[in-house]
Amino acid sequence: MRRTGLLLSSALVAVIGLCGTAAAQERAVIIKGFGAKSGVVRSFGINSEAAMRAAADAINSQGGVKLGDGTIGKIDVEFLDDRCTAEEGISVVRRIAAGPALVAIGPGCSNVAEPLFGVLQRKAGDASDSGLQFPIFTDVAIKGGLAKISEWAFRNVPSEIDMYNALFTWLKTKNPELKTIFAGVEENFAHSRASWYAVMKEAAPKVGLEVKGEAKWLLEDTNFAQQVREIKAASPDILAIAAHPFTTCGVLKEMRRQGVKVKLLVGLTSSSSMETLQGCAREAEGIVIPTSFAPVTKEAEAAAAQAAKFNGSLDLHSAAAYENIFILKKVIEEQGVLAKPDTVQADREKIRKGLAALKETDGLLGKSKRTEDREAVKPYMYVHAKDGKWAVLFNPLTN
Amino acid sequence: MGFVDYVQAIIDGLLFGTTYSLIGIGFTLVFGVMHKINMSYAAASLAGAYCGLIGPQMLGLPPWSVFPLSIVAAGVIGYVIYLTCFRFIPLASPLATLMSTVGMLLLVDEIVVHATAGMPQNYPAIYDGDPIELGPFILRADLVGVFLICVVAMAVLLALLYRTRLGMATRAVAQQPVAAQLCGMRLQAVNGLTFVVAGLLGGVAGAMIGASVGMLSPLIAGTITVKGLIVTVIGGLGSIPGAIVAGLLVGAAENLFQAVRNVTERDIYVMLLLFAFLVLRPGGLFAAARGRD
Repeated sequence: MRRTGLLLSSALVAVIGLCGTAAAQERAVIIKGFGAKSGVVRSFGINSEAAMRAAADAINSQGGVKLGDGTIGKIDVEFLDDRCTAEEGISVVRRIAAGPALVAIGPGCSNVAEPLFGVLQRKAGDASDSGLQFPIFTDVAIKGGLAKISEWAFRNVPSEIDMYNALFTWLKTKNPELKTIFAGVEENFAHSRASWYAVMKEAAPKVGLEVKGEAKWLLEDTNFAQQVREIKAASPDILAIAAHPFTTCGVLKEMRRQGVKVKLLVGLTSSSSMETLQGCAREAEGIVIPTSFAPVTKEAEAAAAQAAKFNGSLDLHSAAAYENIFILKKVIEEQGVLAKPDTVQADREKIRKGLAALKETDGLLGKSKRTEDREAVKPYMYVHAKDGKWAVLFNPLTN
Repeated sequence: MGFVDYVQAIIDGLLFGTTYSLIGIGFTLVFGVMHKINMSYAAASLAGAYCGLIGPQMLGLPPWSVFPLSIVAAGVIGYVIYLTCFRFIPLASPLATLMSTVGMLLLVDEIVVHATAGMPQNYPAIYDGDPIELGPFILRADLVGVFLICVVAMAVLLALLYRTRLGMATRAVAQQPVAAQLCGMRLQAVNGLTFVVAGLLGGVAGAMIGASVGMLSPLIAGTITVKGLIVTVIGGLGSIPGAIVAGLLVGAAENLFQAVRNVTERDIYVMLLLFAFLVLRPGGLFAAARGRD
């Protein structure tokens, strides 16, 4: 009896030991997300977090990440709030970099990304530069050309220059009667300003559209009567609204009140979201926006369903967060990242090297190319608001 | 831009300025009674407007129900703010209530952001028809309606203050709180009711802002708070007629500045206007007569 008890005890100890060994062979691969989870762009953060968690869940349930020493790593995602302000964004990243995270995905706002990339080490390996040596893989902040600020900064955001160049070319081919364009610009928002002045205003004349000027307003404005009168006076064929959903809707509603109509509305990439339809589906009917995401492939449909389980929705911004997790998995496996407490900085450098070496990545709509400036060239399509939903108007990938 | 455009800009500003007047009155009413600034007033007014949306969006009530619901909700929120930021806070400390209401402003704003995920919410217009054309000028019919509703709300408030016992008590507490108490008036009850009345007025303002913009967004609260404070200072702290005139003045001036210069300079000139008042007429347009205290 005593002997049987001893045997049973030994067996129990052995089983516990085996379990312990198995657990020890599974390491946490910590990836932090950051973006706005409070304030007026909270939806960006909610969707990015849901997308990251959905991707991590998909990877973990398929066996996880194979680390450099053969151990299986499980992706552990945590998302921090930067309130879409530069000082909080920098503070959040400094906090993340002081911990065991190997890489961070974010931020959501270009006004955070620009100064944040400025605190990173400009040139990797430069001993004279005491900047932060921590890889950041941006999903949302879309203002053009930001990754070139630091060799530790990488982005998987679509190129607005390519998208609007192609959109205007396509529009002009389909509707040669369109001759003039006028813009409405949110003057105090970096992305909106850049999208008009550096992107659309440059792209339009290339296809023969005459730029008739722009009406300006601020992100928090509530009265657009004057701006709409300017639009009316300009009487353009195309009105390009480089503004986020709140003021886009404000202007569109004012246009309806004043009975101002244009032949075609073109919107800002960030406005191809549910916010616009929730705020002004009726007035936004027909608005055309280029986007790098719509659930048009099996992978995209599955990802959107997976993100919905985590209480988020996939759009052109959050879809990039989903893709980033898969891209990082590939990089971690290829670079032999160990994810051990004593290899954190070495792992970060491996991830930086791995991301910098990428020439092409898999995305939800197809392959994306990587540029020397650590930016992405992503597939895109044009969507338009139709019956209160976003519908694909033209997909260059399938045409 | 010609003369007609400038006049049109002023007309638009005057019509929209009534909402600034209502917010300014709310600030000034509380200041007049308690000599304290309620920084959360504009945010609470908009929160009332958000609460009004529960009727049509979640309870299946008709769209017009949003207006009375907004007003009632803002009144309730006003009383909650009184309880949390004033009733149990030492009023002798000048910074205590200021800080508590700044905290409440952030809290209310963040509650709205969390409840809506920051998404703009469609808000019904009070009138959805064609604008009114008066020669070369165009008046937004719904803004004319907003203007009239705001004027009626102000008239009701003035009647309440000058024709009812509650109004008399409010004025008495504003002028001589100790004497008012000696006459049997319950200071806390009058203060609480003042917050409810100011809240109801804020509810009208919040609903009219929502109706005139056509949407509600957390982005609005900060702007309206700043405008309300400017109106209160220009009108004279504690002066209700001053708040009414200053609201219209600020509305018209900012639109005119925008027309003459541009949107990015607009607020600079509004701030210069405020600065000019602070230097040249620090008591505001209609400074309240000083009491014996």
